[in-house]
Amino acid sequence: MQLRPNRAKDKLAAGEVAIVVGGMSDPDAIDAFGPIANANDIAGMWLEGEHAGVDASTLGNLTRACDLWGISPVVRINENSQGLIYRTLDCGAQGIVVPHVNTAAEARNVVDGGKFPPIGKRGAYTSRQGHGVSNYMNIADDYSLLVILIEDIVAYQNLDEILEVDQIDVFFVAPSDFAASMGHTGDINHPEVVETMNDAFRRIEAAGRNSGATCGQAEIPRYLDLGAKFLLTSIGPWLSNGAASFMDDVNNH
Amino acid sequence: MQLRPNRVKEKIYAGEVAVSVVGFTHPDDIDVFGPIAQANGIDAVWLEGEHAGVDHANLGNLTRACDLWGLTPVVRINENSQGLIYRTLDCGAQAIAVPHVNTAEEAQNVVLGGKFPPIGRRGNYASRQGHGVPNYMELADDHSLLIVFIEDIIAYQNLDEILEVENIDIFFVAPGDFAASMGHKGIWDQVANIPEVAETMEDTFRRIQAAGRIAGATCGKAGLERYLDLGAKFFLTTTQEWINDGAENFMNIVKNH
Repeated sequence: MQLRPNRAKDKLAAGEVAIVVGGMSDPDAIDAFGPIANANDIAGMWLEGEHAGVDASTLGNLTRACDLWGISPVVRINENSQGLIYRTLDCGAQGIVVPHVNTAAEARNVVDGGKFPPIGKRGAYTSRQGHGVSNYMNIADDYSLLVILIEDIVAYQNLDEILEVDQIDVFFVAPSDFAASMGHTGDINHPEVVETMNDAFRRIEAAGRNSGATCGQAEIPRYLDLGAKFLLTSIGPWLSNGAASFMDDVNNH
Repeated sequence: MQLRPNRVKEKIYAGEVAVSVVGFTHPDDIDVFGPIAQANGIDAVWLEGEHAGVDHANLGNLTRACDLWGLTPVVRINENSQGLIYRTLDCGAQAIAVPHVNTAEEAQNVVLGGKFPPIGRRGNYASRQGHGVPNYMELADDHSLLIVFIEDIIAYQNLDEILEVENIDIFFVAPGDFAASMGHKGIWDQVANIPEVAETMEDTFRRIQAAGRIAGATCGKAGLERYLDLGAKFFLTTTQEWINDGAENFMNIVKNH
């Protein structure tokens, strides 16, 4: 038994763009989405545990549905805690997203939780992803994907030191908290916010690291032009567009 | 406390078209869809218990998420059983869809399970929808919506007698099983276009309308015009097409950038 490939990580390693889709809370919904994801080369599912209900009790079933279709389960947790990071990996996550990472020490804490010794301090245990994989502990670190969110102005101020931390795969620049931390709550298009974010993307690329962004269809060109290699998008607008289009036809018949 | 309105029932009896959407299996996903449904005038969420995992253990949470947004929870069950019908109503469904109803007697069985005496034999209990509603038992029958599936060639042959059964709100003509029962197995929206199947289904829609009853249909955007022209007033559509289109559009922009 081989360890399952981490499709998002493989894409990044190949210099390709990895697309991750958020908005599903149930294993059956992911299972129904599987063939659509495969047909469109979508790399991962974003499972939301910073703000929504994903937790240790639901992760097994959610990540198993991802496994079935070869889509990387990427889980956003709600605290930069080593115990939470490795328990989330143990439950089946292939990617961990940690919000509000503001210093190099905080970024290293993510690595300490996400990688086994000697790199980090991940507790010794065979993840659900490791069932039947005899050398799991030896290869797990090469398969796990670590994403940190650069989303506070203080993280921007500390960006150079954060970018020196090894083993972080994606530096994800998120607009809402970024704007809020700059005193522009709710105004992600404020020129000061846009320019600061753009500079963050440029510096991540200049440092030879991968950046991530969250976007709808309209913002794809902006972020790809800024060098983003990891894009999170939501099914919300897809449902909204589909619903509007269907109901337009009903109403205009 | 008033009994929650049944939006689908109100619409179809006002002569309007009601639309239900299938594809949600978790209450949080319905809750996210709520504002989209409201903004677009969508009436109902179809909860799938004939073929998928909806059952009594999850119906409370699923239907509660619908209640929050005024969406009618429509539950398709997997057997024409009186006990199953009224337990499903008791757990929070505002509408019941019963598959493979092939005779007037079978349609009458749906009514017996879905309505309290003297109309039917629904067991005496205040549904979750009835919490805080003092006169629930008196109002419930006016609020519950009953849908029978006309989806076998034998149901078509018995259509006249089925259409005489009172208290059935919607006669839903479903192509997949209809075609299979006529010897044509295949994908539901493709078999609906096989001439023999299409003609039989179209005749069914016409006879439902001629009898003064309400027809239901399932389709994506492509089939909408056909079924609206055939007089269908209740629609089932799926999020799969929307997600598929959204995923394709998004990935096309990524690839072509």
